[in-house]
Amino acid sequence: MFGWRTRRRELLEEIEAHLAIETQQNIEAGMQPEQAKQTAKRKFGNVLLAVEDSRRVWGAVWLENLLRDIRYSARSLIAAPSYSAALVCTLALGLGCVTAMLAVVQSVLLLPVNLPHPGRLVQIYGEEAAQGVASSQHALSFTAIDALRGDTRSFAGVSGYNTVVLPVTAADGSRVDPLMEVSPEFFQTLGVAATTGRLIGPENARAQVAVVSDAFWRDRMQKSPHAVGSAITVSGRQWTVIGILPAGFHAPGMTGAQVVFLPIAVGPSGQDLFKMESAEVIARLKDDVSIQQARAEAQSVFAHSGRTSAEERRRLEMRSYQELVTGKMQRPLWALLGAALVLLLIACANAANLQIGRMASRMPEMRIRSALGAGMGRLMQQLVTESMLVSLSGAALGCGLAFVAVKAVRHAYGDRYPRFDELSIHPMILIALFALAIVVGIAATAAPALNVRRQVAGRLTTRNTTHRSRLPGLLVAVQVALTCVLLVTSGLFVRTLQLLESVELGFNPKGVTTLVLMPENQGQDPEHSRSIETGLLNRFEALPGVQSVTMQSEIPFSQYGITLNGTTDVSGRPYHKGDSAYYSFVSTSFVKTSGIHLLQGRGFVAKDESSGAIAVLVNEAFVKMFLGNREPIGMTLRFHRDPGDTDADLPLAQAMTVVGVVQNEVQGGDLGAPFQPMVYLDYLALPKTSFLSAVFSMSAQYAVRSPLPAATVAAELRSVVKQDAPTMVELSLKPMEEDISQSLGQRRLALRLVAGFGIVALVLAAVGIYGVLAYSVALRRREIGIRMALGSSRQGAAGLVAGQAMRMVLLGLVPGVAGAWVAGDAVRSFLFGVKALDAETLFVSGGLLLLVASAAALLPAVRASRVDPVETLRAE
Amino acid sequence: MSTRKTNDPLELMQGTLDLLVLQTLAPGRAHGHAIACSIERRSDEVLQVGHGSLYPALQRLLKLGLIEAENGISENNRKARFYRLTAKGRRHLFAEASKWQKFSEAIARILSPAVKENS
Repeated sequence: MFGWRTRRRELLEEIEAHLAIETQQNIEAGMQPEQAKQTAKRKFGNVLLAVEDSRRVWGAVWLENLLRDIRYSARSLIAAPSYSAALVCTLALGLGCVTAMLAVVQSVLLLPVNLPHPGRLVQIYGEEAAQGVASSQHALSFTAIDALRGDTRSFAGVSGYNTVVLPVTAADGSRVDPLMEVSPEFFQTLGVAATTGRLIGPENARAQVAVVSDAFWRDRMQKSPHAVGSAITVSGRQWTVIGILPAGFHAPGMTGAQVVFLPIAVGPSGQDLFKMESAEVIARLKDDVSIQQARAEAQSVFAHSGRTSAEERRRLEMRSYQELVTGKMQRPLWALLGAALVLLLIACANAANLQIGRMASRMPEMRIRSALGAGMGRLMQQLVTESMLVSLSGAALGCGLAFVAVKAVRHAYGDRYPRFDELSIHPMILIALFALAIVVGIAATAAPALNVRRQVAGRLTTRNTTHRSRLPGLLVAVQVALTCVLLVTSGLFVRTLQLLESVELGFNPKGVTTLVLMPENQGQDPEHSRSIETGLLNRFEALPGVQSVTMQSEIPFSQYGITLNGTTDVSGRPYHKGDSAYYSFVSTSFVKTSGIHLLQGRGFVAKDESSGAIAVLVNEAFVKMFLGNREPIGMTLRFHRDPGDTDADLPLAQAMTVVGVVQNEVQGGDLGAPFQPMVYLDYLALPKTSFLSAVFSMSAQYAVRSPLPAATVAAELRSVVKQDAPTMVELSLKPMEEDISQSLGQRRLALRLVAGFGIVALVLAAVGIYGVLAYSVALRRREIGIRMALGSSRQGAAGLVAGQAMRMVLLGLVPGVAGAWVAGDAVRSFLFGVKALDAETLFVSGGLLLLVASAAALLPAVRASRVDPVETLRAE
Repeated sequence: MSTRKTNDPLELMQGTLDLLVLQTLAPGRAHGHAIACSIERRSDEVLQVGHGSLYPALQRLLKLGLIEAENGISENNRKARFYRLTAKGRRHLFAEASKWQKFSEAIARILSPAVKENS
């Protein structure tokens, strides 16, 4: 390399020539040839030293040494393939997991969002839930937003937006898409520009214009070059598309979706097109204003703005835009990074143990090299080089793993979680990875290097030493402790999932298909919608193979539910503040279709529709909260009337009579949520004048019970809708059980990741235990042989090894359980029904660890029991 | 330790050896063995250098560009490498030689009274 080899050969030839001349002269002086040669050599001195000194003159010796060390290391690693493979794989796993998690954390949480000066963007929101019809509990009233925009000096822009889901008719037909109505300042505040056309701004705030996301343009407009200027229909009105947004832009809460943006148009009543009186707020701070100053100013303006009385108790808060987008991801991602780091620590301990074991078998080599004049520094350099080679190969392999993992995650979750479509491994992460690898490499050599130093510096004749270091055992204990933490945590997740899956639903989802429809024109007469929907209900019921059909304003686990939370008076019970129940609107055959158990009284019957009083069902939670031990059947309920309220302020002025009690059913989309008091009303029995009867005019949700296969039912329902109600757009059509299992998705993902880490940790710990025991048995052969010669049985020898294994595991279990408690507490919010310190989980995890440890100890124990005392003593 | 050191032949300082080599090459080109013998002779064999230590010195001078090497055939018909002074080497030799001259004169002046006293 670099011509050194040639130069070295030339120099050696030259010296050869020198010696030949000298020998020749000696012979001429009368010496015997052999003697002449010897004398010449003596006169010349150490040939290799001369060459070495010359080489030093050429320079870059260290580089040559390094290259030679690397060659040597590679050769000695290849000579021990199983050791090297175990070491490199261990490090690759640890480093790969950490790199992938670091990349995710950096891409999602740390890198600023892809907008100009993102640090200046904030969300302004109300702390308590907004009143009235609002798209989000964080929304502020339009009046308050105007006040914030007009009366503050901290903000360069204050904008509002609302998100709704509505049928959008484009050239390719009608489909339900997310829709965002935005104030004219919205895009300017965020700092986005259109790729084609213009965006909504103050100049066209009152016009019938729309802006579409890149995904909408690609999927629904087929990348049409004439997209700008074409028309789309929303809510029976035509909107002209004036611009397309860039591909990387995601509105808050929208990841990779096909979104249509419309301008907010607030009418004289203070309501917008969708009858909302409020919006969520994003603002941009001026450059020289701190977030504290801005918050104080916004709070004082908000306190003095002419708010509605309902907003009186609300407090204004502010958080960064980044937190709005990724706030929910923060805890889980940091927790997973923590788990990955734990894994790296385990891998590191393993690597150190493997190296200690190997170094023991290489000690004679080290002693010989030391005796031949290799300095301590030179030996260390060799060791460090070897370790670096291993950890850098591990890093390279881990880097590959991380690339694959990150790509897979981006592919799988890119349009499900915010910013996951931006996942990538930045050069910074790679630099961090290799720095980490070097640190790991040095850390893993430190122990064996000290060992070498101690032994080489000592006497040369310690061949039969049984001196053992405590370090490997301690490292295994650390591994066991860390593995215990991961195992217990995944155990808690498993228990949570089990408990959630065994939650009593209260209804029977088997054989039920849910269908959600929306009228294409949201503005159409509610009476008209109602007649279409009732017609469909009757048609569905008449389908062959369909047992029963119900409409429900909130089907459990459907994402499109509408509930009414109403303050309620119960006859014979004084009203307390906070006496409220949830109202669900259903149709006559609700009880039959849902499979909910009727505990008392009767279900709805068709004649309820024509009778005067409104029949309702209540659930157990309602009875418990409002009635105690009183007889529920025949009880009268009313919506509570505050002093000064007129009939128009109430959702329903009539009295309702309880005709039956049903069991509790899971509401909303969370299996773990507590049961709420519920009142079920027959939608068809509602007077036509009540605005509640218009609830279904926004969307109609059907639950269809049928023993037929889901696909058959779906096809039949679709064809009926197409025939009878072509103006109804399908929002969702799927088996109910699918929705339920989807609701567990996030918990399943968390379980899969943590359990994956746990299993890898378990394998690593097993390898670690095996390695230490195997090494220890190799070292203690002599001791075991002598014990046997003195009368110890084979079982006794095996017991010696097993005892050592158990000591290491038990030593690790104690801090492991403590660590698991802390970790369990950290993931408390993910758990359901189990405590952070769950005895059953601890027991199972501990048992599993002991089992794996025993399996790992088996082979070394057997080996110990096979030691032949005669052979050992002969070797003495 | 110290007694052994006093018995050792005087170790050549690096610079001295370099200067000797340059001086040897001043008349013309020579190969390694010839240089070694010449140094041995000229320093009255007081400086008993192992011939081996000549070679690092040669490499150093080559690197500094004071001498250059060429392949040739030695007197006994062997392939050998011959060294010769470069122009730079000649200038260096001249400068160094006069520096040593001055230095040794200065030493002589310092030591001369002491020498007189002793004798």
